[in-house]
Amino acid sequence: MAATSKVPNEKTNGLALEARDLRKVYHRGSEDIVAVDGVSLTVRCGEFISFIGPSGSGKTTLINLLGCLDNATSGSLKVGGRTVFDGRKSLSEGELTKVRRQVFGYIFQKFYLVPTLTVIENVLLPYAFYKKPEAPSDPMDILRFLGLDKRASHRPSELSGGEMQRVAIARALINKPEILLADEPTGNLDTKRSEEIGAVLRQLNEREGLTVLLVTHNPSLAKVAHRSVTLRDGKVADE
Amino acid sequence: MAKKISVYQVAFKNLLRKKTRTALTILGIGLSAWVLTSLFGFNRGYESALNKDIDNMGFQVLLTAKGCPYEAATLMLKGGTGLRYMSESVFADILKNEEVEKITPMLMQAVFDPNKGESGGISAYLGIDPATFPAMKAFLEFRQGAWFTAPESREAVMGYEAAELEQREVGDKILIPEMNIEFTVVGVLARSWTQDDGTIFVPIRTLQKDFNQEGKVTAVGIKVKKEANITALENKLYDLPDVQVVSMAQVKTTIMSLVSTAKVMVFSIALIAILIAMLGVVNTILMSVFERFQEIGIIKSMGAMPWDVFRMIWTETVILCLLGGALGIGISFGLAKLTDVLIRSLLPYTPTGSLVSIDGRLALLTLGVILAIGLLSGIYPSWRAARVRPLESIRSEGD
Repeated sequence: MAATSKVPNEKTNGLALEARDLRKVYHRGSEDIVAVDGVSLTVRCGEFISFIGPSGSGKTTLINLLGCLDNATSGSLKVGGRTVFDGRKSLSEGELTKVRRQVFGYIFQKFYLVPTLTVIENVLLPYAFYKKPEAPSDPMDILRFLGLDKRASHRPSELSGGEMQRVAIARALINKPEILLADEPTGNLDTKRSEEIGAVLRQLNEREGLTVLLVTHNPSLAKVAHRSVTLRDGKVADE
Repeated sequence: MAKKISVYQVAFKNLLRKKTRTALTILGIGLSAWVLTSLFGFNRGYESALNKDIDNMGFQVLLTAKGCPYEAATLMLKGGTGLRYMSESVFADILKNEEVEKITPMLMQAVFDPNKGESGGISAYLGIDPATFPAMKAFLEFRQGAWFTAPESREAVMGYEAAELEQREVGDKILIPEMNIEFTVVGVLARSWTQDDGTIFVPIRTLQKDFNQEGKVTAVGIKVKKEANITALENKLYDLPDVQVVSMAQVKTTIMSLVSTAKVMVFSIALIAILIAMLGVVNTILMSVFERFQEIGIIKSMGAMPWDVFRMIWTETVILCLLGGALGIGISFGLAKLTDVLIRSLLPYTPTGSLVSIDGRLALLTLGVILAIGLLSGIYPSWRAARVRPLESIRSEGD
């Protein structure tokens, strides 16, 4: 598989992400819920960070903020040296989409594969909307890397949970992201399949130099990362 | 192995998720397209069939004794009984007009026949001039035999349906009951799909004598010279006493005005059918969007712009409408005859030709209308889908 585009440059100063005092408050009726409370975090290019913590600790909210899927209530966020959020100002939805498709690949607990498309078509789905110039022309390389080359023409309903998650990973990788965000990617898998996914993520990070941010409840999966960030009540409790 | 996939492929495959729902929606659109195509076809076919009927009369103007113009129109087209009689002296008045090429006198007589049907019925005899009528009706062909052998012979030529109904062939006799008048069938016409199919033709002189109407006619058909001003002729004929002039244009206008009411009603029904189909499409696509809410969010997280999502959902709508439209047009072609029968059973008067005229151009027009409906119906669901934010789909994920 070709190397991903995570080469540090002068502009980024080797930083993939730079969050300062990020805060996210949800309003439920008259109640304010602080999901992320003043988190500052620097992610270097090629780092593999796991985010752990109890349910409701703000892991998913934080990764959504870092992945430009949500806007913070306050604080600032730079992605590859570019400010995407500062104070209360954010890029437009169109600009955010451009950042998302240039920089990020996402994996979720649910696989969100299109049931009527084959494995290869699901992997190619992002190309229907956007294809990076440096994106691979032959998606079979990624499928081979993930051990899915013999399943290319199968439909999702014919795959195991682990295979489906690997298809979701292949789909996230097809446009050569700089940062892979994985939110509970093994939440629906048994221990063996979870270990397989963990190994794939580590390989992607070590061999391809991909920056990986992993949210998990699974302590053994968290150990595959270089660095672990523990969240509690929306704050970084331990690093 | 595929190396790329387009939004259109994704849209098409999305429709395969709920096959029954997709099929029912296509069927709904198909039925609307059928109604629409048939209506367009009727709109054109009816007028065309009426024009053909009028052309097949062989003359452009009909002169009858004064009476109700609606009955006169019926007489022309349906071959009903004569209203009143005109003297043959009117021929000279007609012929002195330079626009007139030739004329043909006609005498219609109707007789009650107790042997016809279960409780008897009317038999109509049309007295015609063998010297002028066949020349004006040159398109009439014989299945058997030929026209009369002499102007005052006791011979009859039967229209196709009249011969079928009476079970007569050349050489057979037909009897006018209670008058003990007998005619020998000398010709049976081939089917012409006009009112002539149901008519029994006899020489006018013979009919005048038999019914004591010598020197009288019920109508005079006038063939106008080419390039002649028909309106000018009609204006001159209006000055003749105790006659009324029925022009083909008048007949057509009268009948079309009668039919237009039915058309408005049927078009209203079609409009309702189309609106229902539109709502069906909106409902189907909107349900599909809501069901795929999270998936659409994921697609946006992959880098799809709002317009990309809008285009994908809009394409799904267009595919549904095009498939439904094609199905409806197919049904229209396949069931054109049935539609014809249905319309005939609804309208008080219908011309003899095909009432529903559907061709490729009409099919394309219908497809265009259905496509426009599809594009319109798809706007709201597509807009809703385009507005989905990635986060909305992901919120339900973690903590």
